[in-house]
Amino acid sequence: MDEFQEILQDFLVEAFELVEKLDEDLVELESNPEDLELLNGIFRVAHTVKGASSFLNFDVLTHLTHHMEDVLNRARHGELTITPDVMDVILESVDLMKALLEKIRDTSSDDGIDVSACVARLDKITGGSGEVETPAAAAPAQEEEVVEEEPQQEETADDEDEIDYENMSPEEVEAEIERLLQQRQEEDRKRREAKIAAGEKVPQMPKEGDDSKEEEPKEEEKKEEPKKAAPAPTPKPAASSAGSSTKKDDAKAAAPARKAPAQVEQTIRVDVKRLDHLMNLIGELVLAKNRLIKINDDVEERYEGEEFLEELNQVVSIVSLVTTDLQIAVMKTRMLPIGKVFNKFPRMIRDLSRELNKKIELVISGEETELDKSIVEEIGDPLVHIIRNSCDHGIEPPEERIAKGKPEVGTISLKAYNEGNQIVIQIDDDGKGLDPEMLKRKSLEKGIITEKEADSMSDKEAYALIFKPGFSTAAQVTNVSGRGVGMDVVKTNIEKLNGIIDIDSEVGKGTSIKLKIPLTLAIIQALLVGVQEEHYAIPLASVLETVRISKDEIYTVEGKNVMRLRDDVLSLVHIGDIFEVERILDASEHAYVVVLGLGTSKLGLIVDTLVGQEEIVIKSLGDYLKGIEGIAGATIRGDGGVTLIVDVVALMDIAKNVKASSISEEQNGAANKEKTKPSDYVIMIVDDSKTDRTIMRKALEPMGVTLVEAGDGQEALNILKSGDYNFDAMLIDIEMPRMDGYTLASEIKKYNRYKNLPLIAVTSRTSKSDRMRGVESGMVEYITKPYSADYLASVVQRNVNFKSEFL
Amino acid sequence: MSDKLKDIISKQSEQQDSVVEHLDDVVQLVGFIIGDEEYAVPILSIQEIIKPFTWTRVPQVPPYVLGVFNLRGAVIPLIDLRLKFGLPPKKQSEDTRFIVMRHGNDVAGFVIDRLTMAIRIKKENIGPAPDTVIGDDTIIEGVGKQADKIITILKVDKLLKRDF
Repeated sequence: MDEFQEILQDFLVEAFELVEKLDEDLVELESNPEDLELLNGIFRVAHTVKGASSFLNFDVLTHLTHHMEDVLNRARHGELTITPDVMDVILESVDLMKALLEKIRDTSSDDGIDVSACVARLDKITGGSGEVETPAAAAPAQEEEVVEEEPQQEETADDEDEIDYENMSPEEVEAEIERLLQQRQEEDRKRREAKIAAGEKVPQMPKEGDDSKEEEPKEEEKKEEPKKAAPAPTPKPAASSAGSSTKKDDAKAAAPARKAPAQVEQTIRVDVKRLDHLMNLIGELVLAKNRLIKINDDVEERYEGEEFLEELNQVVSIVSLVTTDLQIAVMKTRMLPIGKVFNKFPRMIRDLSRELNKKIELVISGEETELDKSIVEEIGDPLVHIIRNSCDHGIEPPEERIAKGKPEVGTISLKAYNEGNQIVIQIDDDGKGLDPEMLKRKSLEKGIITEKEADSMSDKEAYALIFKPGFSTAAQVTNVSGRGVGMDVVKTNIEKLNGIIDIDSEVGKGTSIKLKIPLTLAIIQALLVGVQEEHYAIPLASVLETVRISKDEIYTVEGKNVMRLRDDVLSLVHIGDIFEVERILDASEHAYVVVLGLGTSKLGLIVDTLVGQEEIVIKSLGDYLKGIEGIAGATIRGDGGVTLIVDVVALMDIAKNVKASSISEEQNGAANKEKTKPSDYVIMIVDDSKTDRTIMRKALEPMGVTLVEAGDGQEALNILKSGDYNFDAMLIDIEMPRMDGYTLASEIKKYNRYKNLPLIAVTSRTSKSDRMRGVESGMVEYITKPYSADYLASVVQRNVNFKSEFL
Repeated sequence: MSDKLKDIISKQSEQQDSVVEHLDDVVQLVGFIIGDEEYAVPILSIQEIIKPFTWTRVPQVPPYVLGVFNLRGAVIPLIDLRLKFGLPPKKQSEDTRFIVMRHGNDVAGFVIDRLTMAIRIKKENIGPAPDTVIGDDTIIEGVGKQADKIITILKVDKLLKRDF
């Protein structure tokens, strides 16, 4: 059984690869019906799948592919010309084949899909004439998951080949077939002569016309050689198509060696799980690197000018460089060309244009642009919706286009390119464009926006309306679009990838939609922001800009904070309001606004500080904490602490419901309890010298106050923050290890509740500049050592309003 | 394979079986104090016990979820069992520990007031939870009786399950 499973797996991988190529080849074949090389390739796919499936006892699949093979075989021998109608049937059977393969993949059996109708139509084609009954309903296009394929240029249907065979009499068809046969034989002969002239050995030309379909594959291959490039107008396409068919030959064990250009890529198939694991390890390494850099900075500060620093610096920079390179290298292994997604669109456009009776040409460029695998998988659906939308609503019917003086054939261009750390996918059409007024009117009718909103809306904002759920500009719902779901899906999916959507349009000229997507998801650049004592990371891809504003630039409109940003009004929300941050620190006069852009919307996020840009590794919060609104995950920072990553999508949603908090925060009513005895007064002594602490203690003990000691600034701050005591005053030495007195004082003054806490410097530094620094950092008194015990006591009493009755 | 080898192997596996049997009778627990009560969890569900360090607050969670912390590169939630059990908050002291528990893929750190000791207790000395707290929702696995006291044994899977 295991062996069978293994064979089955191999079969499925191979079959999906082959079928993926089929669509593309078939569409190309329609425009070049005489390209035998292509036809042979397609035939081989059907043949391979048939062979393997009969071996594996998939009867339905064998049955279907057998009949496909018949049709293709006839076409290959020139007994049948590929018309659009024949192509419809072949494409339908390919769709069925895909459906069957998927069924086999999911259930290991091919039961339950009815192929008889399709087989009947295939048989009808094989029955001699090129006439086919058109299927009543076109098979629904399979939204195929991309397994593996190669980027390939495509061509859309060429009008000259669309000779209407349906209206021909049988004689005419015969004549046409005869003509084509002769044409091909003629070309074959020329080709052979050319080869002989070139001194190549040419295998025996096989007999024409009577090749039976039971022919051994080996023999087929042999005669393929001369036929291969026969109908090709120039030798060049022969080379390229041979290259593209190498894959199929590889897949087919019996394929003989052929003169394919020696450009076989050296590849290994690797389980994605292994790559994911590698990526995780790299993530750990990046974190360690960040940490190393931080430690290096600390060491640098501390041992300035020491010799070993130079060496340490070198090592750290090498490690950081190599880590970055390594990360890029591993990221590259996960990259796939976006052509994998683009490749299904020629077929889609072909089907759509026939269905909608429009003439549409698809121009693809930049398909070699690479993206992370996970993104490639996510990007397919949104693109399908956008392109369907362009076909249905964008491109006008041919008559209308001619009337407007546009070329009859509409063009949709699909383009991908890199822009910094992002990839841009641009979809342009030369259709009727978006009319902002019409969009607003429609949205008003459907109640998606209010009249007020409509009035204040810019054109760009109006374009963004097409992404609202329930919005559709199509006058009627068609098979293709108009249900108002698709574009909403686009927005959701792109936002999930932290992408941005940008729409530009001109009425009558066309529409251009740009999707900007970050290159990878696992390791991202982030902007670290601070609010009070907390830090948050915002994906840099969503940050448009940052601005420093003063508090009076913030206006309140209908209970929401807004500000003017150049010509726009930007709604604002404080990050503290969203994440329930306790306001313990004093808010300064200035704030920073991080302008977030996502999809088509913008939001200003008010933060206290900007910490900087850092490369972060996204880690999940795990099952226990998943689904917290506004948090996308967490990352580990250089100092080993955890920083939460902001989910910009959710944040924008939350922001709508957050009421503006009064920016002027309520004054913290410090719990000033009535002092009833001397020990209610609590005073902290901060000095690194035990002797000095004891001297101060001796001086103050007679008062009966409670005394708490700390050995340095850091310790003092921790005691203060722990909230165990409610201090009335602090005596602070200036020179201390870890954190000196000035730093301690300015740290303490950051807290609202300690704003009025008297800080008394007790120091041997006497210079004027020292005193100045003391005042600047918030000290109220400056006692120089040595001092008398009485003096110290009196200064403390004065500052804590010591009640005279306790004396 | 020679018969001798077979003999040795079968003997070994017998020995292992007997060890397992022996272990089956006795449950090893780790005891800890929250408030005034002593609780315990099976020793095998404990990944490690660490001294407290800093954590990062997470918004929009109940107060007993203190936040997340970094355990050698993994981001792990931190839950204060005092608050979870409805006791008033208490400042962390010298004795405070984080117990990191694991059940399947779920991992979380729990703040406890103080560790007591590793306890070996016979299965027959473990009684069911009191009738009043029996039900699907209870986090009490059973009550372990010892010479001088009783210990509440907690269900680790329930502790690790999100209930908000």
